[in-house]
Amino acid sequence: MAAETTRPKKDTKKIRAAIKRRKHATYTPVKPDMQLGFIHNNVDCIGCRACEMACKDKNGLPPGPRFRRVQYIEGGTFPEVFAYKVNMSCNHCAEPACLPTCPTGAIFKRKKDGIVDIDSTLCIGCRRCEAACPFGAPQFDPEENIVKKCNMCVDEIEAGRKPYCVMACMMRVLDIGPIDKIWDGSLDTVAIGPHDKVVRQVKNMADIELTHPSIGFVAHSKGKVE
Amino acid sequence: MSNQNDFDRLSQRLNLSRRSFLKGTAIGAGTLAAGGLMEIKYGKEAKAFAYEPYPRDDQLETVVTSCAHNCGSRHMLVAHKWKDVIVRLSTDDGRYQKGGYFGKDGNEEPQLRACLRGRSYRQRLYSAERLLFPMMRVGKRGEGKFKRVSWDEALDFVARKMIELKNKYGPTAILDQSYAGASYGVLHKSDQIEGLLGRFLGMFGCRTSSWSVPSYQGTTSSSRWTFGTIQDGNEDDAFAYSKLMIMWGWNPAYTFHGGNTFMYLRMAKQRGCKFVVVDPQYTDSAAAYDAWWIPIKPNTDAAMMAGMAHYIFTNNLQDQEFIDKFCQGMDEGTMPDWAAKSPNGKENFKDYILGKYDGQPKTPEWASKICGVPAKDIKKLAHMYATTKPAALKASWAPGRNAYGEQYSRMAAALQAMTGNIGKLGGCAEGVGKAWHAEAVAYPYDQYSNIWFASIKSDRWAHCVLNYPNVRREEIGLWPRQDATDGQIPNIKGIFWQGSDWFNQLTNINKEIKAIEKLELVVCMDSTITPSGLFADVLLPVATHFERHDVALPWYKGHYYIHRPKVIEPMGEAKTDFQIFTELAYRIGGDVFGKAYNPKANRNYFNYNDDVDEAYLREWWEGRVMHHQGVEMSWEEFKRRGVYKFKLPRPHVAFQDQVEKGVPFQTPSGKIEILSSELANISDWTKTRYGYHIPSIPKWIEPWESLNSPKTSKYPFHLVSPHPRWRTHSIFNNCSWLRETYEQEVTMNAADAKRMGIKMGDIVEVWNDRGKVVVPVYVTERCMPGVLVIHEGVWMDRDENGVDRAGNPDFLTLDDPSPAGAFAYNTVLCNIAKTNLEHRPGWDKLATARSHVFRREHRREL
Ligand code: SF4
Ligand code: SF4
Ligand code: SF4
Repeated sequence: MAAETTRPKKDTKKIRAAIKRRKHATYTPVKPDMQLGFIHNNVDCIGCRACEMACKDKNGLPPGPRFRRVQYIEGGTFPEVFAYKVNMSCNHCAEPACLPTCPTGAIFKRKKDGIVDIDSTLCIGCRRCEAACPFGAPQFDPEENIVKKCNMCVDEIEAGRKPYCVMACMMRVLDIGPIDKIWDGSLDTVAIGPHDKVVRQVKNMADIELTHPSIGFVAHSKGKVE
Repeated sequence: MSNQNDFDRLSQRLNLSRRSFLKGTAIGAGTLAAGGLMEIKYGKEAKAFAYEPYPRDDQLETVVTSCAHNCGSRHMLVAHKWKDVIVRLSTDDGRYQKGGYFGKDGNEEPQLRACLRGRSYRQRLYSAERLLFPMMRVGKRGEGKFKRVSWDEALDFVARKMIELKNKYGPTAILDQSYAGASYGVLHKSDQIEGLLGRFLGMFGCRTSSWSVPSYQGTTSSSRWTFGTIQDGNEDDAFAYSKLMIMWGWNPAYTFHGGNTFMYLRMAKQRGCKFVVVDPQYTDSAAAYDAWWIPIKPNTDAAMMAGMAHYIFTNNLQDQEFIDKFCQGMDEGTMPDWAAKSPNGKENFKDYILGKYDGQPKTPEWASKICGVPAKDIKKLAHMYATTKPAALKASWAPGRNAYGEQYSRMAAALQAMTGNIGKLGGCAEGVGKAWHAEAVAYPYDQYSNIWFASIKSDRWAHCVLNYPNVRREEIGLWPRQDATDGQIPNIKGIFWQGSDWFNQLTNINKEIKAIEKLELVVCMDSTITPSGLFADVLLPVATHFERHDVALPWYKGHYYIHRPKVIEPMGEAKTDFQIFTELAYRIGGDVFGKAYNPKANRNYFNYNDDVDEAYLREWWEGRVMHHQGVEMSWEEFKRRGVYKFKLPRPHVAFQDQVEKGVPFQTPSGKIEILSSELANISDWTKTRYGYHIPSIPKWIEPWESLNSPKTSKYPFHLVSPHPRWRTHSIFNNCSWLRETYEQEVTMNAADAKRMGIKMGDIVEVWNDRGKVVVPVYVTERCMPGVLVIHEGVWMDRDENGVDRAGNPDFLTLDDPSPAGAFAYNTVLCNIAKTNLEHRPGWDKLATARSHVFRREHRREL
């Protein structure tokens, strides 16, 4: 396995203070200046999971938690069959279901780009966010006893680069960008082919009305919702 | 490098103008009403980077290197290290090459992005299975009990034993089973034919070599006969120009053949190319390229192709001009004069197809009865292939890993030739598929590089050991020699494994287990313990490619070199293969052997190898790469950048010069030999390496077992064992991250499963007369009835009754190769039933336990 991770001792005082603050917090909705989101081509993805491995390695995850999950979908009856992939990590939702459930207020959404992240020093591993998220994004790390999830490789974004999973994609069918550009098809990306249309909802995911996830797909004909 | 926020740079990359950036989005505003979205106010905005502690890439040292295993590709890895520890790996992002920048990609110099295995390399490097010290066996052979010893003790033992075996049993006593597990460097090369071990044993004067290549010997033989070379491949960007792509047993979504093949195929699809997949399984490639799936019974491919040839000939759709100009033996008109008098070459291909010789025209209807594909589909595909130009028939290796697999490969070459798709952009002559040719050798290469005293078909060693001396030469495919020792059966008493897990990977493992008991010396050199290693007498810890200096070559496709510096110091007491052989040479033959084996080194090489390795590599770069290939980048600059990408003047297509400029093919006749001159002139087959008769033209030959044979009454299922995506043969089987992406399982058709009362996830046993394995079952509509699929390479784990609980399909395969050497990995009948035996998924209990929980989020749409 990877080099030993040094686990900082939890500061109980800090956590207690956070819970107290959380109880008395006033809420203002976060309207990001610009929301970043993912685009994934369900058809052209070969399902190789290089994106998943890049993410595991970057985040030094033990076996178990998987921030990025490539779902294999298949159907039909021999010999008329079909298969495609739906690839999701955290959707950095406009209305993150995870966020308000956190008792310590560890989860927050960035104003600048709408990234939703969990402060690892405040997470107490209660796993409420895991239960609340309709997309299975928060992942419990049994070694550190906290919940972690995709932070869109914000360190890479801040360095002017793109996330590890995007830069790993062997087919170049996974990308990020401002979500409105993804949805209206104006993002300059090879993830979207010349004749492809982008949709917000495909069959193999929870209803987008729940959280308004920041993600777009090129859907397979069998994965389209009317 | 800076850590400061740099949204400007990113926004440019994201095609985001400053204005739209500031305008923000509309979604945020609309969400208030939904009521859920709240920001918790702390007074100051939360810093989104919530990991602690976490070294960012720009705080770490960046070192360009590459993968180094035998996967069919070669991608860049970029190590981000802190002192002597690799903290994480990334891959090519366009920055490292000359003229590069972040995000540079495209057709000409595509990024060399690593696959899932490459990305998990840290788990292999730092695995609990790493061998860190020399060890010697203390228990019974195969029991897996070892004690740590010093290098002195281990090497003295090996040297003493080697001399003893050679003196007692002669120059064939030691079997070279080196393989490509540590290969694809120009200096530290492991290889079954030529490599560091072969040269070491050859110089020592005691070596039996293994000549047939497990993955593609049928195809290799075919390409050599037909084209006179295995360089029948296009560079992968050439695929983007095809109008029709027939993927015959080819699944590039799993097994890469070239670094970006799958990406260029996507480009072809976007340009309107139609895809066809001929395969017992509806593969991920079939799905991604939206292919017409033609399920076919395993090991019947040559029959279907013969049916296609019949349709093409009888409808006069062949490219006769191409045939007349470039082919030998395609039809009566292209038969050479000498053929009529040759012992084995009187027949031409067209007349064979039309049934002139055996009274059986190879019609699509005839083929349909054998291969199970409806005749109308055979005709439709033949028509498409003959009338779409250019069209690529990519005849992959798997259907050639069969009884008479070479006939499939040759039949494919005949189709490629008769449709005139050879030497043309968008066409395809593969075959083996080796394309651009790298300068591959920086290790000392001389008259000692491939000396052997006997050479056998690789999966016949156990047969040879068990039956010695009552073995006929044809049984083991003995390669002829020009001296008095021709025909002598090797007396194998020892094995060397270098970068090789062959004990786990060759056919009929139970027979190997019997044979290995008869050996007196088994040496395993590897960087991790392997199932083979458990059977060794001596385990020598080998430095991984992160721990030694080398240059990586592309595999059979790709035109680039990647520098591989010593990223970290070798862990434990690991040494490189080259260090080990050099030191053994000194111990066995003093300065004479030592100096001859490694001319640039002295005996201190075992302790310090940096300068010598650097000298070999620099000489190679300056003498060969710069000199022969017109590269102007200096060795220093190459080392600094880490990668050199060639820009080719046009997409490389095999045989373009032959077809456009009339350059002769490398065959005896200078033509595409549908009738092989070599085979046509053989009369005594036992004196050849083949051992048994091979027709001179491609023919359908009934395999010894298939879904059409009477043996199906006892064993009704045909098992195939393709290469997995999540391992390279057996390498990476111990990596828990990869374990989360799959499960060792048997894939089974849903209707078959229902009939037998088997459900998804049930534990089943799969068996035949040769062995039994226990695995969970994956029930799917994507596999044709009658076929089972178990991926090769899982680490065997036998119980006390010899049942493999891990599910290694090579307990069921037969060690009876095809005459041309093709391993019959996919010629296996077996049966399947539910079992109470427990499946043991592997050595890493935590990881595999989790793979059950997190395995494929499988959902079926009904
Ligand atoms: S996907 Fe789940 S974890 Fe991510 S922001 Fe949305 S609700 Fe939260
Ligand atoms: S953006 Fe980063 S953290 Fe998120 S899934 Fe991709 S690699 Fe993982
Ligand atoms: S790396 Fe790309 S092609 Fe591979 S599974 Fe991920 S999204 Fe799909």
